[in-house]
Amino acid sequence: MDATLIAQYALAGLVIGVIYCLMAVGITFIYSVMKMINWAMGEFYMLGGYLQYLLLSTWLGPSRWYLALPLAVLGVGLLGMGIQRVLLRPMFVGQGERLDEYATIVTISLTVLFRNLAIVVFGPYQFSPRDYAPPVQVGPLPLNGSRLVAFLGAVILLGAFAVVVRWSWFGRALRAAAQNRLGALSAGIDLPRMDMLAFGVGVALAGAAGALLAPVFLVFPESGAVSTVKGFEIIVIGGLGSIPGSIVGGLLLGLVESLGSVFLSASFRDVYGFGLLLLVLALRPAGLWGERAREA
Amino acid sequence: MGRRIVIAVLVAAAVAAGSGAPGWSAAAPIALGVLTPLSPPGDAAAGQLIVHGAELGIQYINTVMGGLFGGRDGCQRPATQVRLAVEDDSGVPEKAIAGFRRLVSEDHAVAVWGAFHSSAMLAAAPLADEFRVPYISTQASVADVTKRHFAAVFRAHAIDTDRVAAWSGFIQAQGWHKVAMLAENTDYGIALMEATKALIAAGKLDATLEAVIFDRTSSDLTPQLLKFKAARPDLVLNVGVGTPAYLIVKQAHDVGLFPQVPMLASYDFPVRPEYWKNLGPAGVSLAFISYYHPRMAMTALGKWAALEHAKRYHDVAVYANLNSFGDAVIVAQAMNQACSSDPRQIIAALERGRFTNWISTEVTFPRAEGVAWHQWSPPMIILQCTRGEQTYDTTPILYPPTMKTGTYTAPR
Repeated sequence: MDATLIAQYALAGLVIGVIYCLMAVGITFIYSVMKMINWAMGEFYMLGGYLQYLLLSTWLGPSRWYLALPLAVLGVGLLGMGIQRVLLRPMFVGQGERLDEYATIVTISLTVLFRNLAIVVFGPYQFSPRDYAPPVQVGPLPLNGSRLVAFLGAVILLGAFAVVVRWSWFGRALRAAAQNRLGALSAGIDLPRMDMLAFGVGVALAGAAGALLAPVFLVFPESGAVSTVKGFEIIVIGGLGSIPGSIVGGLLLGLVESLGSVFLSASFRDVYGFGLLLLVLALRPAGLWGERAREA
Repeated sequence: MGRRIVIAVLVAAAVAAGSGAPGWSAAAPIALGVLTPLSPPGDAAAGQLIVHGAELGIQYINTVMGGLFGGRDGCQRPATQVRLAVEDDSGVPEKAIAGFRRLVSEDHAVAVWGAFHSSAMLAAAPLADEFRVPYISTQASVADVTKRHFAAVFRAHAIDTDRVAAWSGFIQAQGWHKVAMLAENTDYGIALMEATKALIAAGKLDATLEAVIFDRTSSDLTPQLLKFKAARPDLVLNVGVGTPAYLIVKQAHDVGLFPQVPMLASYDFPVRPEYWKNLGPAGVSLAFISYYHPRMAMTALGKWAALEHAKRYHDVAVYANLNSFGDAVIVAQAMNQACSSDPRQIIAALERGRFTNWISTEVTFPRAEGVAWHQWSPPMIILQCTRGEQTYDTTPILYPPTMKTGTYTAPR
C-alpha cells in the first residue's frame, strides 16, 4: 500500500485522537480531584454542541464561531458547577458512605435527563453549524476546516490546561486535593470550592470537544454516547487519574481505530479500541501511566 | 338470593365487556397503532414524518370517510371513529418488541404500521403473528420482512432487491463500472450489499464492487472514504440511514471524494428540510433513490394528503408522510371490506382485497412466492440535487428512462 495513504490514515487517526483526549482529560481530572466518575460526560459534550449551534444560529451568526466557542465552553462549565453544587456536593458534606454509588446514580440520571431534555427541546433531528473554515491540505491529508480548528483548539486547550494545573495556585491546590484531600484541607484549601471548580473545568473540557466538533460530527441527542465510551476507554488505557496517560491513550486510540478500520474491517472499529485496552490491562494492569494503589 | 344472583350476573357482564378489546366494540374509537423511530439511534426525523402521515390518515378516515363501517363496502355496522396510538421503537429491535406489545395489549390497536428500520420491524414481526394483529411495513425494505412469510405482516413499500435493481439500471445507464459502497452494519445495509454482490456475480451488473461495512454508531468515516478516494471509483453508494447518511456525504466532501466522484444515497433523506441546513453546499450533486416526486400523478387520496399536509404542517409532503397515510387508509379499507375490527378478519381482508393508497388504485397483498408474499411495491426513481437549497419539485428525475426529466449533472 502507498506510503502516502498510510500517512493519511495515521494523520486522520491522530487528529481524532487529540479530540478524544479532551474528553478523557475531563473525566480523569474530575476523578483525580473528586474521586468520582462522571458518567454524564458525553451529555456535557452534547450540550456543548447544542450551545454552540444555538449561539451561531440565533445570536452571533454563523461566521463568529470563535466568539461562540468560549461562550459555549463557559456555559457548560457554569452548568457543571451548578450541578456539582446542588446535586453532588451534599454527598461530600460529612463524608457519607457509598460516595461512588451516589455519584454513579446521580450522573447516570443526568445522562437520561439531558438526552431526553434535548429530544424535548430540539427534537430528534440532527443539527450542524456551518464549517468554521474552508478545507485545507495538511501534508498528505485533505482536511475539513472545522476538523483542523477542532484539532488546534484541542491542542491549545490541553496546553492551557497543563499550564494552569502545573504552575498556577489554583492548579497546585487542585493537585493537592487530588493527592491527599485531608492534607489539602489541613493546609487551608477550600475543598468544596475546589470540587466545584474541578467539576466545572472537567465538564467544560467535554463541552469544548462538543462545540469544536459540532460541524464535523453533527449535533443530536445521542451524539455524546460514543464519546463517553471512548473517554472511559482512554482513561483505562492511560491509567485512571493520569493526565499524560489520557493524552497518550487518546492518541493511541485514534491511531488504532483509524488503521484498524482500514487494514482490518471498518465494522469492528470499536473493537480495536477494546483490544488495545485489554492488551494494556494484560501488560500493565494500572494502565500506561497509572499507579498501583493499596486500599485498607 | 335471587337479587344477589342478578347483581353477580350484571357485574360479570360488566367485567366481561370491559375485558374485551375495546377496539372491537362499536361505540368507542378503534385504536390504530404506529410503531416508528422517534428517538436516536433510529432515524427519528423519518419517524416524525411517518407520524404526521398517520395523523393525516386518521383525519381522512374520521372526516372524509366519515369513520369506519356505516354502510361503506356494504358493511351495515354503525359508523365508528378511529384514534391513533403511537410508540417509539428508536430503530432498536428490543424497543420495537416492547412497543408492539404495548400497542396491542395496552392500547388495543387492531393494526400497526410505521416501521422504518428493518431490524426493528423484523424483531417485532413474530409478535404480530403471535397476536394475529396486522403489521404493515411503511419503510422497512429488507427482503426478509416478506420473504419469511409472516402470516400477519404486509408491506406497501419497496424491497431491497427493487432498490438494487434501480441502482443497477442507473449504473449501467451511466456507463459506470467501478462501484464503491459504504454500508451500515444493519439488516438493511448488509442485505443491500449482498444483493448487489449477487447481481454482479450473476452477470446482471457489469461492474466491480468494493464494499465496506461500518458500525452504525461510528462518527468518523474518514479512513474508509480516503481508501475509496485512492481507489478512484466511478460511483460511491451511500448506504447509511439517519446520522450516518449525512456523515458520509459531509466527510466524503471534506476529503475531496464527493462530488468529484458521484454519490448515490439509498433513500430519500435529501428531500427533508434539515438536509440543506446540515450539509449546505456539500449536499449539492447527491443523487438519491426516492419513491415519489411532487410531479408524479397521484390518486385522489394522495392529492388530498399532499394538500392537507401543506395546510397542516406548512411543508411539502414527502414519501414517508404519504406512505404512512397510505397504510392508514389501506387498513381502513380492509376493515370496511371485512366489516370487522377483529384483527384476524383484517388480515384476511388484506390478503384478498384490492386497495387504493396515495399512488395506486391497485394495491394488493397476495399470498405469493418468495419476497412477493404480502408485498406491493411503489415505483422507484432516482433524483439528483443539482443546486443548493433546491426544492423537491425541481429535482430532476434521472432514472428510470420512462420518467426521466434530466441527466446526471457533474459538478463544475
